[in-house]
Amino acid sequence: MKGRRLLSNYEGLPPIKEECCDDSSETTAEVKYLNTNRLEPCNKFQDCLIRDKAQAILTNKLQHAKYDAASSPSLCASISEEILTAAKEMGFDRYKYMVTVLIVEKAGQAVNVVSRWVWDVQRDTWISAKYETDTFIALALIMACYYD
Amino acid sequence: MDDFQAGEETSFVVDEVSNIIKEAIESAIGGNVYQHNKVNQWTTSVVEQSLSQLTKLGKPFKYIGTCTVRWENKTMYCIVSAFGLAI
Repeated sequence: MKGRRLLSNYEGLPPIKEECCDDSSETTAEVKYLNTNRLEPCNKFQDCLIRDKAQAILTNKLQHAKYDAASSPSLCASISEEILTAAKEMGFDRYKYMVTVLIVEKAGQAVNVVSRWVWDVQRDTWISAKYETDTFIALALIMACYYD
Repeated sequence: MDDFQAGEETSFVVDEVSNIIKEAIESAIGGNVYQHNKVNQWTTSVVEQSLSQLTKLGKPFKYIGTCTVRWENKTMYCIVSAFGLAI
């Protein structure tokens, strides 16, 4: 049996060191965590909190910004980093996050954004936040997926 | 929730997924010019087709697919991103 996936343990129980033999008959000490038997996250994801936070971050960073082809990519990257850090700080446990930030110039063009997913409907969710100025529209999409 | 890895490594193979998405775009949009009334249909069909092909691979992933279409007169740019989250 090659490789066992280790469980991270939130209850703070110490891991158990197990001696096991692998195929080449060498003994290796393997660390094994106990099952928590928890199917739901302790701190469930609350989308209203994240939505407000994302909206605030967008407003802060883009209030006085004008669309500029050279600086917008780095602006996008920094906004998404900030949103991701804020989401992680909120402390909802057992969630993976994905943040997409789109900045589109208002120049006689139109944009359509469509998303579909195959995930756990009861535990995974998404939120979107929009910010509009004279020269551009910014859209932030945040998906939170449960992982245990 | 112990998981014993099967003989085959299940990983997200970028090339395979790229091909699937390209085929989905080509079959849905092909060489069409932009038509306003059809664009909704095209975007949804691109994403749904690529997602269904990805799930057919049978790997233990959750998938999220996003299609962004930008159009201007008759030209269209279509950006499809697919994310796979291991379970």
